[in-house]
Amino acid sequence: MYEPILLRRVGRIHPTRLSDYETNDGYRALRRALTWRPEHIVQLIKESALVGRGGAAFPTGIKWESVAKQPVTPKYIVCNADESEPGTFKDRVLMENDPFAIVEAITIAGYAVGAEKGYIYVRGEYSKAYDTLATAVAAAREAGYLGSHILGSDFSFDIELRRGAGAYVCGEETALFESIEGKRGWPRQKPPFPTEAGLFGKPTVINNVETFANIPWILLNGANWFRSLGPDGSAGPKLYCVSGAVNRPGVYEAPMNITLRELIEEKSQGLPDGRSLQAVLIGGAAGTFVGPEHLDVEMSFQGLSAIGASLGSGAVMVIDDGTNMWDILRRIARFFAHESCGKCFPCRYGTQRQREIVERMANGTVRENDLERLVDLWATMRDASLCGLGQTAGNAIESGLRLMGVLTT
Amino acid sequence: MTAKHDSPDERVAQIIGRWASYGRSGLLPCLQEIQSLTGWLSPEICQQVAEGLRVPLADVYGVITFYGLLYDKPVGRVVIRLCDDIACFINGSGDILRATQEYLGIQPGETTPDGMFTLEVHPCLGHCDIAPFMLINDQPVGPVRPEDVPEILEQARRAVEVKDT
Repeated sequence: MYEPILLRRVGRIHPTRLSDYETNDGYRALRRALTWRPEHIVQLIKESALVGRGGAAFPTGIKWESVAKQPVTPKYIVCNADESEPGTFKDRVLMENDPFAIVEAITIAGYAVGAEKGYIYVRGEYSKAYDTLATAVAAAREAGYLGSHILGSDFSFDIELRRGAGAYVCGEETALFESIEGKRGWPRQKPPFPTEAGLFGKPTVINNVETFANIPWILLNGANWFRSLGPDGSAGPKLYCVSGAVNRPGVYEAPMNITLRELIEEKSQGLPDGRSLQAVLIGGAAGTFVGPEHLDVEMSFQGLSAIGASLGSGAVMVIDDGTNMWDILRRIARFFAHESCGKCFPCRYGTQRQREIVERMANGTVRENDLERLVDLWATMRDASLCGLGQTAGNAIESGLRLMGVLTT
Repeated sequence: MTAKHDSPDERVAQIIGRWASYGRSGLLPCLQEIQSLTGWLSPEICQQVAEGLRVPLADVYGVITFYGLLYDKPVGRVVIRLCDDIACFINGSGDILRATQEYLGIQPGETTPDGMFTLEVHPCLGHCDIAPFMLINDQPVGPVRPEDVPEILEQARRAVEVKDT
């Protein structure tokens, strides 16, 4: 039986009571960190093989190392809490129920890379998560876990909270920086990467909420322990958000050797009576549809990659046979057309044309060469869009059309 | 801090005063804080924010019009944000939308003539574990049943009226 790590305190402690957190392993990791050299922590995170949990799966230790090596100051730590990928709600659960873990992890990151300021950028619609974090940050400051000379050390660090204002694209890291800087959330051209020129043009570590939540446990239990959880190449625990046509939707934690079948049939207790499985959308609107024949896929980075899917943010949306797939596809197409920020042409134009073509297909008013045009749009958006939004805007629709047999090549 | 007996104009000025030293990076939180007080961002307020934070007025509007949660037009006292994305749709958000439209007599994007309710349909609001879901101002409500809709809306109306007295 797997014992949850990231969700261990969720529902068992009073979220904003610092003493509850402290008596449940809270701030042990920071105390330990402050007795180590910063390089040691970066090395430990590298050895743990932790990769980002926001969707891009970039190695966290490498990110930290490149910021630590930058001679430029100040440096920043940013927590990406702008959780907006459709079907994803794990970060909200962490923020609402275990906020100190995130605050502690960000503080550890600051010590490790030499930053004195951190930001948490919380999705605008997540009022409870924002308020909970704000209370936790204030309590941590009051207790000397934030501020100058933390726990009597030479290390000073503080955290400022920011709220998003309703823009999916701000989950893209450089768009998020622009938003904190008081601008429209337009993604920047990369390179330079955030590690070199991020928030306010300074070296910046930006990680997802769930990524941060792993950090204290790695410091307490070691890199080998972390790697031993889960299959090779998919180290550590993962949060899966199961939703749609299941009896018990929710956030479930498991090592990444769990199968899709176990998530749906055991964790979420299957589909409601009388309904059967049509498809699963893995990774949200930027993700991939898979059919019932893939129920035994291992929900790891490699397992999903082998069937042409990707884990993304860990969203698992279950679609039953009573749902019209066209209703799902047109929602995804509308979503991208609505959320495209308009900065780069391939995405601004491509997501609109994609929406129009998908609507025509759904309504049975297809024009000649619509499908060919759509395939061409996907290639253009994938190759030429400035950020991940445009680059992935065709993924789910392409895989959905393939699953439905509309697209056969 | 703003005191409760201060007039709305004074409180707006106090908010701007608090964010002024941040300059441009204070723009978004400043606008958010003002809007939580006034409901929307009038031309006069935008002008004051531009001057207070030393940001061009065009850029103030650039920011407001970019973000879905900032309003440069009046909205209802109660903004209903109804999720109609995949997980909510599968769990019957269509019926919730119909029930809400029927009860209020408005379409998505519209405000009731008495200025009480604005109805918005949103992509995923990140509460798929309690689908179908809606936000009533910033309060999460779900799973919603169609027959619950009138009571949910009336509760929200009463909450606003209590705040006024």
